[in-house]
Amino acid sequence: MIQLRELSVEFDEGFQLKHINWQLEPQQHWLITGANGAGKSALAAVLAGYGEILAGSTSGLPAKCGWVSFEAQAELIQAELKKDDADITDVISLGTPVREIIFTDEIDPVMARELINKFELDYLLERAFRKLSTGESRKVMLIRALSCHAQLLILDEPFDGLDSATHTLLQNHLAQVVLHTPVIMVLNRFDEIPDFVSHIAYMENGELRHQVQREDTKAYAELYQLLHLKTTELQVPEADADSKTPALDPAAPLVKLHNICVKYPDMVLIKDLDWTIKPNQHWQLSGPNGSGKTALLSLITGDHPQCYTNDIFVFGFQRGNGESIWQIKQYIGYVSTALQWEYRVGTSLRNVVISGFYDSIGLYSKSTDRQKQIADQWLALLGMQNRADQPFNKLSYGDQRLVLIARAMVKHPPLLILDEPCLGLDDLNRQLVLALIEKICAAQETSVIYVNHHAQDRIAGISRYLTLKKSCDNS
Amino acid sequence: MSNNYFNTLPLREQLEQLAKCRFMHMNEFTDGVEALKGKKMVIIGCGAQGLNQGLNLRDSGLDVSYTLRQTAIDEKRQSYKNATDNGFTVGTYEELIPTADIVLNLTPDKQHTPVVTAVMPLMKQGACLSYSHGFNIVEEGMQIRDDLTVIMVAPKCPGSEVRAEYVRGFGVPTLIAVHEDNDPQGQGLALAKAYAVGTGGHKAGVLMSSFIAEVKSDLMGEQTILCGMLQTGSLLCFDKMIDKGMDAGYASKLIQFGWETITEALKYGGVTNMLDRLSNPAKIKAFDLSEELKVIMRPLYNKHQDDIINGTFSSTMMADWANDDVNLLGWRAETGETAFEKTPAGDMEISEQEYFDHGILMVAMVKAGVELAFETMTAAGIIADSAYYESLHETPLIANTIARKKLYEMNATISDTAEYGCYLYNHACLPLLGDFMKNIDTDVIGRGLSSDDNGVDNARLIEVNEALRSHPVEAIGATLRGHMADMKKIV
Ligand SMILES: NC(=O)c1ccc[n+]([C@@H]2O[C@H](COP(=O)([O-])OP(=O)(O)OC[C@H]3O[C@@H](n4cnc5c(N)ncnc54)[C@H](OP(=O)(O)O)[C@@H]3O)[C@@H](O)[C@H]2O)c1
Repeated sequence: MIQLRELSVEFDEGFQLKHINWQLEPQQHWLITGANGAGKSALAAVLAGYGEILAGSTSGLPAKCGWVSFEAQAELIQAELKKDDADITDVISLGTPVREIIFTDEIDPVMARELINKFELDYLLERAFRKLSTGESRKVMLIRALSCHAQLLILDEPFDGLDSATHTLLQNHLAQVVLHTPVIMVLNRFDEIPDFVSHIAYMENGELRHQVQREDTKAYAELYQLLHLKTTELQVPEADADSKTPALDPAAPLVKLHNICVKYPDMVLIKDLDWTIKPNQHWQLSGPNGSGKTALLSLITGDHPQCYTNDIFVFGFQRGNGESIWQIKQYIGYVSTALQWEYRVGTSLRNVVISGFYDSIGLYSKSTDRQKQIADQWLALLGMQNRADQPFNKLSYGDQRLVLIARAMVKHPPLLILDEPCLGLDDLNRQLVLALIEKICAAQETSVIYVNHHAQDRIAGISRYLTLKKSCDNS
Repeated sequence: MSNNYFNTLPLREQLEQLAKCRFMHMNEFTDGVEALKGKKMVIIGCGAQGLNQGLNLRDSGLDVSYTLRQTAIDEKRQSYKNATDNGFTVGTYEELIPTADIVLNLTPDKQHTPVVTAVMPLMKQGACLSYSHGFNIVEEGMQIRDDLTVIMVAPKCPGSEVRAEYVRGFGVPTLIAVHEDNDPQGQGLALAKAYAVGTGGHKAGVLMSSFIAEVKSDLMGEQTILCGMLQTGSLLCFDKMIDKGMDAGYASKLIQFGWETITEALKYGGVTNMLDRLSNPAKIKAFDLSEELKVIMRPLYNKHQDDIINGTFSSTMMADWANDDVNLLGWRAETGETAFEKTPAGDMEISEQEYFDHGILMVAMVKAGVELAFETMTAAGIIADSAYYESLHETPLIANTIARKKLYEMNATISDTAEYGCYLYNHACLPLLGDFMKNIDTDVIGRGLSSDDNGVDNARLIEVNEALRSHPVEAIGATLRGHMADMKKIV
């Protein structure tokens, strides 16, 4: 059993792994995954004995590791190049032939021979290692790792640069290896995950954020999605040219609330508040429970009855002058827990997304093919393209939230209101939602109001803050 | 004393009015709320319909305020709070009625005569008076000043639904009518259409009907299948399960939530779909039971329809109004004392399918009630569209109220008129089904069919499926549900 306890490790480039607590049982085969730069390869390297331990401890690290990785490959090639530099004679070095690279003392020659045959590498044996293509040298690395009687096999993106025939060969071979040797895989895509992987470790910012058992299908699916969001370039699907809202005056604020008061018979919730939101500003609205965040937002969305008794200018309309709430809502995308509760319908994911074009809960109009297409693009963005026809109410809570964010965004609204979008979500789903929000903020087309009762819980891209205090003004 | 308007008409006109009903096309509403833009709408009463219709109309960009009786304002009653808490202007009749272009009478039906008598003299020349139910005009023969336009915009749902559906971006099916005796400027229809748009009704389907067709069908639906059948069914099914030694908490739960669950299937795909949720043997069983029920109950449905058409029902009820509602209040108390009402639902899990499998008799009762009400109404000359809304369409809505708080909630939500009729039905129907219930066992209510009952005769199954699908309520239902775009299929 391998154990890492509160382990912090530093690598040459200054990269650190922090507070890693991890336990690997002999029968387990782990996948380490995460976005680029999250620390996947570093964690794998720790198992191979690399890195400088800053704090914490390890136990049970294998004496002999088979390690295939870009880093290990680079290391070997570097060593080869050094040999060249070290050559003081005029004779041009041909470099170490592959045969010598493979058949070292540590290698079981019978096993290596067998693999060379399998991978059909005979023709390479006499060539210089450093002259090989990436795919070829990767195969050499694999043969070394697989024939050294390793106690632990670490395969960091082993499929990178392999042709599909070799890929299959390797998969089949690994299926045998795992019967007697624990394997650690590092992959940044779930699609390639071999069947034998029993556990998944998810890295982020040098921390081991999630450990999930493969059998836990729900957690597994969520992790899949998180990875998908973190690793794909966000290509926000286009707006629908046919359902465009009337253009807004770019010089006018989106929202101008003046001297706002919200009163209930037993209390004053908001008093004398001014708030102006200009195009392309991102805001974070925070304050304790009961400080009036949701009420304030519903004045903007037109869902609060007192929007008729306040001085409210929204999207070109001074409220209470004969405009309808649907004229207001067409400019707003809105997500909240309350909306999710309202949205208890058995309609398909696709229709939920399309309903965003109509600002309705449920879909009551015949949608166009173009709208369907756009909805499907959004679902693809969320990694849910295969579930477009599934009923919304059968989705996990976190997935529902993601779909509702897509619903809010589908029409490219000038203003997106996210009222505690992470409320009630577990850590994994929170990160999913936050990842999506950050991408939307970065796209700079929609102004975002992000509501959270912790002011310190900040999102990259949001630079303006409005904090409400709880009114103790009971009258 | 009042004079039944319907009874003053010659037969030819009675028939013509009863048969008035047309499903309006979406493109008849392209003017939106234009006809009401900038006009002053003053609502009398701020209860279930008043408040919710007003919220919708205001959110549609219309100018809405409320007038309440002086005592309600002075005592700051609930209706006063409803209006002021929502930021509406509230005033007395004298303050607001003279300014109104359209007065929306949304007080309880039994108050209509005094209320209309009080406000009519204050109304502007040429203004419009609107109702959400035609009882006052049709059954009490209320005479309205000649210069006033009289229209009706009747949402076919409780007030809370009127609001909830609007907020979701939809609406509830709505019936509109113009009182032909009072349309001096010929603008009644334009106003009614704009009003229906303002409440969101046009999105869910609008029926252009008459005051008479609305009243006679509304009364029939509410007192028979909608409230009556569900109340009688609840009491009989509960007592049967207790009688057979079943757990009271389970019995209570099966019924309280069962109506809602099985009629949800009705909402999506009519009676056919509701029965399709059963296994084949159970379906045949439910079908046979409902056929039996229809034979036993048909005379009762006929009687209700006859009493409604000839005015016996309304005059009986109005006599009770005049007698301080002694009957109504007594029956209400009686309902509160029934074993079903007093037994709380157990906390066991009942799956959605189990409500069907263990509630075969309930399915049979809903089917029998819907079909009988529909058949009786259409036989009385009411158009199928209207009969559909007043029977099948509203059943799930009423069932929802039972799921919330049993019969108490149902009777509190529906109008006094519906409640009164519901008790009449219940009193007649309970003994009527006495013998029938003697032969009922827990296989059809409470426990479900045993595995020995698994055999199904193919020919019989085909016959049953055919009969289900060819009932006229299914054809009109499919058309009207289709009209609501992708709507209830999706919701
Ligand atoms: N409920 C439904 O499902 C439904 C559906 C469609 C149509 N409708 C129709 O809508 C109308 C209103 O029904 P509702 O259910 O909304 O009634 P409701 O909830 O009982 O509300 C009645 C309102 O009228 C006020 N009111 C009562 N008596 C009054 C009087 N004598 N003078 C002035 N105001 C009075 C009440 O306020 P105060 O007592 O505080 O004065 C209350 O605000 C009826 O015509 C009904 O048939 C109802």
